[in-house]
Amino acid sequence: MGFVMNQEEFSKTIENLSKNYRLYAPVIKKGEGRCLDEDIVRYDFVTKAEEIELELKSDYSFKEILLPLSETLFFFTENETKVADKNTSDVLVFLRSCDLHGLRRLDDMYLRNGKEKDFFYSRIREHVQFVLIGCPHSYKDCFCVDMGANKIDEGYVFTIEPKGDGFASEIKDDDFTKYFVGQSEHVKVSYVTENETKVNVPNNVPLSIYKSDFWREYDARCIACGRCTIVCPTCTCFTMQDTFYDPNGKVGERRRVNASCMIDGYTNVAGGGEYRKPHGQRMRFKVLHKIKDYKARFGYNMCVGCGRCDMVCPEYISFSTLINKLDDQIKKEAE
Amino acid sequence: MDNAYIPFPSKVLEVIKHTETEYTFRLEFSGDVKPGQFFEVSIPKYGEAPISVSGIGENFVDLTIRRVGVVTNEVFEKYVGDTLLLRGPYGNGFDVDLYNQGETVVIAGGTGVSPVRGVIDALSKSDDPQNKYAIVGFRSPDHMLFRDDLKVWDEKLNLTVTVDGADEGYQGKIGLVTKYIPDLPIKDVNTAKAVVVGPPAMMKFSVMGLLDKGFKEENIWVSQERRMCCGLGKCGHCRIGEKYVCIDGPVFNYTESKGLID
Amino acid sequence: MGLDVNAKKMMKNAFRVSKVRGETASRVRIPGGLIDAKSLAKVTEIAEKYGNGNIFITNRQGIEIPGIKWEDVDAVKEELQSIIDAIGTNQVDDETGYPASGTRNVVACPGARLCPFGCYDTTEFAHKMEDVIFPNNRHVKIAFTGCSNDCGKVRMDDIGVMGMTEPQYDPDRCIACEQCVKWCKKRSVGALSMVNGKVYRDPDLCIGCGVCVHYCPTRAWTRSKEHYFRVVLLGRTGKVNPRLAEDFAKWLDEDSILKMGHNLYAYIEDYISKDAPNGKEHVGYIVDRTGFETFYKYLMKDVTPGPKAEIATTMYWGGKRYDRSNNLK
Repeated sequence: MGFVMNQEEFSKTIENLSKNYRLYAPVIKKGEGRCLDEDIVRYDFVTKAEEIELELKSDYSFKEILLPLSETLFFFTENETKVADKNTSDVLVFLRSCDLHGLRRLDDMYLRNGKEKDFFYSRIREHVQFVLIGCPHSYKDCFCVDMGANKIDEGYVFTIEPKGDGFASEIKDDDFTKYFVGQSEHVKVSYVTENETKVNVPNNVPLSIYKSDFWREYDARCIACGRCTIVCPTCTCFTMQDTFYDPNGKVGERRRVNASCMIDGYTNVAGGGEYRKPHGQRMRFKVLHKIKDYKARFGYNMCVGCGRCDMVCPEYISFSTLINKLDDQIKKEAE
Repeated sequence: MDNAYIPFPSKVLEVIKHTETEYTFRLEFSGDVKPGQFFEVSIPKYGEAPISVSGIGENFVDLTIRRVGVVTNEVFEKYVGDTLLLRGPYGNGFDVDLYNQGETVVIAGGTGVSPVRGVIDALSKSDDPQNKYAIVGFRSPDHMLFRDDLKVWDEKLNLTVTVDGADEGYQGKIGLVTKYIPDLPIKDVNTAKAVVVGPPAMMKFSVMGLLDKGFKEENIWVSQERRMCCGLGKCGHCRIGEKYVCIDGPVFNYTESKGLID
Repeated sequence: MGLDVNAKKMMKNAFRVSKVRGETASRVRIPGGLIDAKSLAKVTEIAEKYGNGNIFITNRQGIEIPGIKWEDVDAVKEELQSIIDAIGTNQVDDETGYPASGTRNVVACPGARLCPFGCYDTTEFAHKMEDVIFPNNRHVKIAFTGCSNDCGKVRMDDIGVMGMTEPQYDPDRCIACEQCVKWCKKRSVGALSMVNGKVYRDPDLCIGCGVCVHYCPTRAWTRSKEHYFRVVLLGRTGKVNPRLAEDFAKWLDEDSILKMGHNLYAYIEDYISKDAPNGKEHVGYIVDRTGFETFYKYLMKDVTPGPKAEIATTMYWGGKRYDRSNNLK
């Protein structure tokens, strides 16, 4: 079951949806890249079909809706603590298969790691549903197939992808049929079956690799900017941040902000303790989390192969290349 | 839905000053809590700091706090009768009953004494205190914590108190804690248990000393100190390998912790 | 018949009087320093066919083809036409070569076409300026550089233009990683600081270099949609009083600068020394004579700077005065 829509019908469908949902989708942000006239694609709320970017791969992931880069948790007055309000009206997030696989990682960390569900994550998560953007072709740097994130059969209400001059949607949840304007047709969502970039994720990572000189190369190459983790749909770390506004220190707030194990200060403990100062060691910590440590805890690999970290690295460090080099190194050491 | 990030108020019952920068705050608390667990002490507008439980009583917990940052600075402004905000207790803590059986040695350095204070206390009250050992090290005589406890423990079990360095004329022992491991009169190293808590280098060399002496890996426990923002297994800062120190630790059996590389 | 060359006319036609008797060098104008490969191949062809097989790359991003016989000048002009057309240099008549040489090649660093830090398309601006001021015989030097780093060394020119961006901050996207603060201190002026877990930009100190935008991992910092410029005036080398250009305006717009380029020539026409050799006198010396106010009045005629622009009301230049003392201190 599905719909085929021309541009006008798609616009009408989005208009219908936005009456009941806040739509969160990839959007081209003109000139917001780091260099002049460089556009980026990142997520934002939209109300019109034209705003939704369905062709380009987004530079930043959807995770900001669930884990805002900076989120106020509490407001403090002299003697009172107030939980910050949140718009919890229903949201539809437009994302690709890799990102929807990423969602499982976010849920596992915030809903299932430790005894308690994360309050601030849960209160928005409960109001979010997903629209799968079909991938008729792979993009440069994608390696979703080898990470098993190229295809997904559940967790979304309908799909959307450009088709010819128009758009096609496969309906998963019949409750959404009523929003659609277009030709009713049998539609199957497209997905990628082969990427140009291939990775061999090592099955067994020996402890010796932690101490290996393998990582030394990145001491110099990596500048510890953390862009790879900020764009990653599976990185979830945050840091608590307290602040007061007035000079008397009477009114203030507690926030949490995205944190990165690549950026200075991540491991600092009060009194000056710090772990993993060399950037290569941070690289090791991040990389082995993605393809080993996370799996040891949750039973499946963390990395979904979206390749955004490769796209964003200002020093041209390729995660996928690193994995393959690591695999070679492990095989070499085993000989 | 419960919001585990909201702290609860707790009254300051007593403030014990050990050194200029290290105080113990006795705080009202009557829930379940074990030595080795920790609380997030929450100072609105300044932040939160994970602090180990250094003492447990009928209706109180002790938190021994070193003044090292913006949060602990603010805590030091608190007096008896004031209120502190807490979240916790978090972490697994020490299984005191386990260490009460047979020969046990506790090796602690500096503020690492806080989380094992309850353990040493329990050992000193055990049926066979002659089989219990504690080696406690401080940077200098001025850095010594829990002086009253040290006196009591010294009477009951085999206590070695040592300082890394001291001015001339100091009567006590001088040297790193590791210096005293080889001389421990352990009768059966195959069953003897050890608990090690302190700065990373101190823990590393203490464990090496114990292993050299013949202690079994599975009979050694360590407590890891890491940055902990949430205490709930969410923020990620305290992860080492597949473990989250705040929920899987901070106490780890050595068989587990040896594979955890920062 | 002896070799009779109107040297002054030839010089204005961009043919140099060479030290080698009987030879000239053809000066090729390349505003912004960008030349298409075909034109460069043409330069090579001319050098091989009429010159001595060598090519000078000049300090101001132009080219001089040496070793050309005076007799071949007309043939060379014919050959130059395809380069002049490709670059789009203003010309009076076809196949007459360059109509002037007094106004020097407009220099530009590679700017935003190549450099990640570039705040505007320097090549394009250089071409626009070229269109306003060329051909002209007055000795004027104008240069463009992409950012405050001034790789284009525009402080050696009569009009130096540096790109600026006004960093836009979205506190909701800021994670307090402090990389902008760190890099602004390391690579720029240290205009950023942390206040209440967010970044404060001191607008007085900020030079609009965009280093913060460059290093921000979250896009909390982005570039302003508007392109802004710092304008420095009357830098020069020379025998008497070499000096660096001084700041005249900041957060200025493109149109204002193009008008200023035009106005500068009007000022020179009215005030240049009547006995300036070959009609060439550094503008700076003219300003020394007329005073800043007269210069300012000419320069800012019909210029309407935007609301953000800040303009100097008075200016002083320093530099070495060889006409007063040649002592080493």
